[in-house]
Amino acid sequence: MRLPLLLALTLCAAPFAARAADTASLTVTFTGLEPRGAVNFVLVNSAEAYGDKAAPVAADRIAVTGDTASKTFEGLAPGRYAVKAFHDVNGDGKMGTNPFGIPTEPYGFSNNAKAAMGPPKWDEAAFQVNAGAGVQTISMAR
Amino acid sequence: MDRRQLLGAFCATAAASLITPEVARAAQPTWSAAFADLDADVPRTPMTLVRGRAPAGLAGSLYRNGPGKFRRPGGSVEHWFDGDGLMRAYRIADGRATVEARFIDTPKRRADIAANAVVTPGFGTPARPGAKVGDNDDVNAANISVMRVGGELWALWEAGSPIAVDPADLSTKGVRTLRDDLKHMPFLAHPSRGPDGDVWSLGVNGSKAIVWRLAADGTLKEARMLDMPRASYIHDFVTTPRHLVLYLQPWVQDRFTTPYADSFSWRPEMGSQVLVVDKADFSRRRVYELPPAFAFHFGGAWEDADGTIRFDGCFSPDPSFARENGRSLMTGTYKRQAPPLLGLVTLRPDGKAGVESVGVAAEFPRNGARTAEPRRYTIHAAGDAPDVPMFNGLASHDWKTGRADAFNFGAGMLMEEAVFVARPGGSGELDGWLLAPAVNTKAGATELHAFDARRIADGPVCTWRAPLTLPVSLHGTFVGA
Ligand SMILES: [Fe+2]
Repeated sequence: MRLPLLLALTLCAAPFAARAADTASLTVTFTGLEPRGAVNFVLVNSAEAYGDKAAPVAADRIAVTGDTASKTFEGLAPGRYAVKAFHDVNGDGKMGTNPFGIPTEPYGFSNNAKAAMGPPKWDEAAFQVNAGAGVQTISMAR
Repeated sequence: MDRRQLLGAFCATAAASLITPEVARAAQPTWSAAFADLDADVPRTPMTLVRGRAPAGLAGSLYRNGPGKFRRPGGSVEHWFDGDGLMRAYRIADGRATVEARFIDTPKRRADIAANAVVTPGFGTPARPGAKVGDNDDVNAANISVMRVGGELWALWEAGSPIAVDPADLSTKGVRTLRDDLKHMPFLAHPSRGPDGDVWSLGVNGSKAIVWRLAADGTLKEARMLDMPRASYIHDFVTTPRHLVLYLQPWVQDRFTTPYADSFSWRPEMGSQVLVVDKADFSRRRVYELPPAFAFHFGGAWEDADGTIRFDGCFSPDPSFARENGRSLMTGTYKRQAPPLLGLVTLRPDGKAGVESVGVAAEFPRNGARTAEPRRYTIHAAGDAPDVPMFNGLASHDWKTGRADAFNFGAGMLMEEAVFVARPGGSGELDGWLLAPAVNTKAGATELHAFDARRIADGPVCTWRAPLTLPVSLHGTFVGA
């Protein structure tokens, strides 16, 4: 069962091989969601963009209707990437914070990098995207 | 486990193997039993009556909270205040008593258990590799006090949310968010219940505070922001029917770092201040100036007809307990410090203010019953001994006559905070009993003492003994049967 499946995948991938040799696809999946609102996130490819000092590769908002939500990006240049996300539970388009500036809505980073007295550093959140199909799963559960 | 953690764990193991068990034991003073780890929850266990007879009418549950687990193989807390919250219940019925204890199931405790090390930062413990500090409740130890709210107990820390506990079996019900937009806002461990039943509390961040006002059942009535003239460390505050009274000591936060205690500087040249604000309108305020002194705890405030406000507290010359001695308790190296002294602050309508010190060593100030008369007594732990933490006795101070009613067990009895229990059908500020657990290091057991609140000097009317020692607790509350 295992081998034929692997073969099938290889065969299917073959027609795309020419393009996939120099570009990548990336599927970002958010898990542990409460089914309401939307996930707002940015995909970045530099420490500058991670620190909001340069434009992101993509900024997106995907509606949350189940306990997971996904988005696939095609045609990415291979390299280092990171994702920053928050779950806009109440749908107001903003990351909710309390009067002392502490987030009140779930958030997450690629590599499931943890906040420790502030967001994780670029080095902790950055992951390698190679040519072909890649996945990044981010838990938004508290 | 990353490299630094691995090295830390390795070094700890190597050091432990160099110290024989005999040497390790000899190095620990007897009082350290009161600060030892409790490794597992304690199911409901009968206590033995070892002194006197249980007073008729004394029935109900004394709930107490305080840190109970401090040390883990890969790293331990560095301050007494950072142990995992341990809820205890002493239940008294038909003249008999039982004791039980259960750890509060916090995200901090889960994270530290998973890491097999205390990685989560706290009051006096730094953040270590692997710590998750996404919001205040990730580091909430839920280990200072307990308040009854409706049908729940709330375990309180001072920099995170209340955590609800079931009074029946002490199981954790979860973090209580009082309003969605106020998630993770701090809530002090010393809320103040007004004569109308409303509960007032604060959450402090630098020179800003949130002021919480809750109904007796825990529903939020209002939350408003308060600006303060300085970023003092605030553990406790007092209220009158009209005012919030905040003691702003010159231990001020001037940087952001872990552990939390290291973000404060002692600045005696600034003196102490007292901020009095009108509950109805925070813009109506007055700031009083006092000599510098450090305080964790106050008893309560009362206001005369002419507007004079008085409140009692336990004042130390500096924050050495918060900074150093709370740490030395964990290593068994505690050395005598100047004990906190009982004092009364008076704030006069003409703006003058003063502190009258009684000169009596005291901590854990509490009130008796609320009556129609102005408050007269402070109940407090008393009787300090050289180089031993905690106190060995109990006392009340009469502010009208200046007299003390005190009992001292002597060395070997580490007294915890006493809680007043009104006599059913009784009246009068001290018409009831004082219930205080203690660690009896000679007997190697936790005890529960009941005193007649009007005859403390007679000694306990009865004492129950548990078949084990629980770590000393900080604060408690009594719920009548
Ligand atoms: Fe306290």
